[in-house]
Amino acid sequence: MEYNILDSIDLNDPAIYKSFTDRYFSKRYILNVNGIENNDIMLMFHSNRITLLCLAPSHFFFKKKDKYTLNFNIGKIDRLSNKVKGKGKKGGQALFPDSVICKVEWSDGSSFGIPCGMRGTLVEINENLIKNPELLQEMPDSDGFIAIMLSSIAITDATKNKLLTHEDYMKVVNV
Amino acid sequence: MNPKAVYKYCKHLGCCEACCLRYIGIKNPDSYEHVDSFVTIYQDEADKPKQTFEQNEDLENGNDNSLKPEVIDKNVTNGDSDDLTNLPPCKKRRIDVCISCLGVLQEDKRFDSFSMVKNVLAKKKYECATFACALSAPMATLLRERAITLRLAEEFPGYDDKTLTALKEAWKWSFGVQLAAQINKTLDSGAVSPLLVTLNYDYADDMQELEILKQVSPQLFEERSKQKRRFVTEFTRRSVEQALATASLAALQAAGGGLPTASVRALCVGMVCAHAPMYLAGRYIKLSRNLPQSPWILDKKRVLPSSVQEIIYKPLADFYNMDEEEADRRLKLIAAGREDVDVRCLGEGRPFAVEITDPTRQLTADELAKACQLISESKEVIVKQIVPITREDLVQLKKGEETKSKTYEALCIKLSHSQFDDVSPDSPVKVTPEDIARINSFRNTPQNSQNSLNNKSNDHNDSNGDTSDEENNANTLDANGDSLNASPDSKTTKTDIQNTSEENQMAKNSSDAKDIDATPEKNYVQVAEAMDTSLNSEKCDNLSDVKIVIEQKTPIRVLHRRPLLTRTRQILELEAEAVPEHAQLFRLRARTSAGTYVKEWAHGELRRSRPALRDVLRARVDLLALDVSAVHLAWPPPPPPPV
Repeated sequence: MEYNILDSIDLNDPAIYKSFTDRYFSKRYILNVNGIENNDIMLMFHSNRITLLCLAPSHFFFKKKDKYTLNFNIGKIDRLSNKVKGKGKKGGQALFPDSVICKVEWSDGSSFGIPCGMRGTLVEINENLIKNPELLQEMPDSDGFIAIMLSSIAITDATKNKLLTHEDYMKVVNV
Repeated sequence: MNPKAVYKYCKHLGCCEACCLRYIGIKNPDSYEHVDSFVTIYQDEADKPKQTFEQNEDLENGNDNSLKPEVIDKNVTNGDSDDLTNLPPCKKRRIDVCISCLGVLQEDKRFDSFSMVKNVLAKKKYECATFACALSAPMATLLRERAITLRLAEEFPGYDDKTLTALKEAWKWSFGVQLAAQINKTLDSGAVSPLLVTLNYDYADDMQELEILKQVSPQLFEERSKQKRRFVTEFTRRSVEQALATASLAALQAAGGGLPTASVRALCVGMVCAHAPMYLAGRYIKLSRNLPQSPWILDKKRVLPSSVQEIIYKPLADFYNMDEEEADRRLKLIAAGREDVDVRCLGEGRPFAVEITDPTRQLTADELAKACQLISESKEVIVKQIVPITREDLVQLKKGEETKSKTYEALCIKLSHSQFDDVSPDSPVKVTPEDIARINSFRNTPQNSQNSLNNKSNDHNDSNGDTSDEENNANTLDANGDSLNASPDSKTTKTDIQNTSEENQMAKNSSDAKDIDATPEKNYVQVAEAMDTSLNSEKCDNLSDVKIVIEQKTPIRVLHRRPLLTRTRQILELEAEAVPEHAQLFRLRARTSAGTYVKEWAHGELRRSRPALRDVLRARVDLLALDVSAVHLAWPPPPPPPV
């Protein structure tokens, strides 16, 4: 076979086995949001400044094994009714670092909100979480992402630069 | 209408001989080439001499009265109602700058423009043996023509302003013919000759004279000045024509007349020679996973050193003696879509065309062959053939981008055990023959009419039996099971596959859900629903050769510059093949409809693309490498039949 696809890449290069999110995103962390211990979130920045909101692996959410539901009604705002139009994503809900995207409500009555961590526009809620809330628990850094956000280049860069990098996060969490 | 009378009238107004012919309506090119001899048939004996003597002497005198309107007009028309001027009629005969064409048709001074054209042509060296010429005349000539035809209509009832021969035509017949002799090319119409010589005439008082249109048509220009952002300048050819279309003689005269004596003539201030673009067609094969189609520049810095475009441009630019910057400006790559930087394009390659702006010549067959050779020496891009095509052929190319299917080959990796796999979770992940069979037989569209529920799926339904969602599951499985039956290989194992899958499903449900993407049921529901909606949509009806209908949200990698949409795409063929020396890998051959995001379909993109390959295998899968193996478009178009 001419130009065999098997010979076209280096199968010994670990880079080609990176997961989808590791391949295209750089991870940043915000720890103890609102002073709540282990209220840790992770922002994944695509090189094109699209940002995914996720729970950081160190979030206290993962320690509790109770059943939970996800509530996207935040005060008067229904995150699920978010609609964006056109290339400029016009009409998306405006977000501030403290804006809660979704509330996790445990069966024991306790709950917590997941803030988005940055200023921007809400582009998309991960609709799969509605039918498969367990994704948040099982695949928090991929299919269980919470939302897609978009901000200006300036804000994205500034946010990215001031947040904890993956390497630093690993050091902090392991201590 | 008496042509002699019109001639006399125009002459009195201050028209040059050629313009007089225009108002008479002469449309014979020869007449304009030899104006002086031709006009004699309209002249009274008394008119014939003089002119040449008067011209020089009146040059200076003419300078001061450019702003005084209607000097001449008074004397020729009945002159009863006018009280604006009392100037004596002594100047009515002077022929200085033509009051209509502002000198554009007056013979002298043409050598400057000829040499201008000759210089440019000498520099550019067009091989084209013909040329067309175009005139960009001062807009004041439009105003003046209207002012004169309105007067003619008043003087000669029944005079139709369509009688007037257009200035550019008359100019072409005199200037163009003379120029042809100078530059040794044949004058032809712009519709025929690809080489166009445009001369720009500038008239110093142009804008100033047009000011009166604001009085004639105040509404039009008020609107324009209000919308300054939309209309950069108040007077454009279009706006002037609009204003003049409805103007009456009375309105023009009230505003000043529109026919001031010209103090200066319009001068040829510039010229442009341009050859119509030429087009070359070919197909490119891209062998590199590090080569973008067009230069990849981020923050003014190059990300990768080269591009398909630059490799193809290089030899072409050399043949035309263009440097890199000029090549970038004058060459344009038009391709039937594009592949990602890290995707190769193999097989016959991707159809493309190159547009050459202002080409000096057509490249020879030998040169085109040489260009292919030079391109292919890059080792990154191969072009086997380049042929000249017409602009009309490009339509096919663009259509190909939007409508034609493409075949891909992908190298994929299975990253987790399939939910169908009946193996210990600790055992190494392997691509099984069942995986391959499952991919090859998967479809979520009806294969044929006999697509009724079979027993097996009913069993399945019962065993899980509860919600209405399960109805969908049954259908899903049915389609799946049906095609499994249809597949020729391993008739005996098919029931096993299904049985084990069910058992496996149950087992995993109860025990470890850790390394599974999600619970199998939910996964089912998703797939089923995705299918349900797609099957209901009309678009997918009657697409008998569609195997899989998928819904793809705008991929994240382009989401920053494209709207967020869910698009329905089709997979028309799908074939998998194990890779013997690598147990976890498999090859995939897929033919997809135009616009399918294949990478996203393979890895599922966080479930934003569904059903994805992983939904077929019920295992985590990813794509390691992708090649375009065919772009299904006939290209280049066959050459036109010999005449």
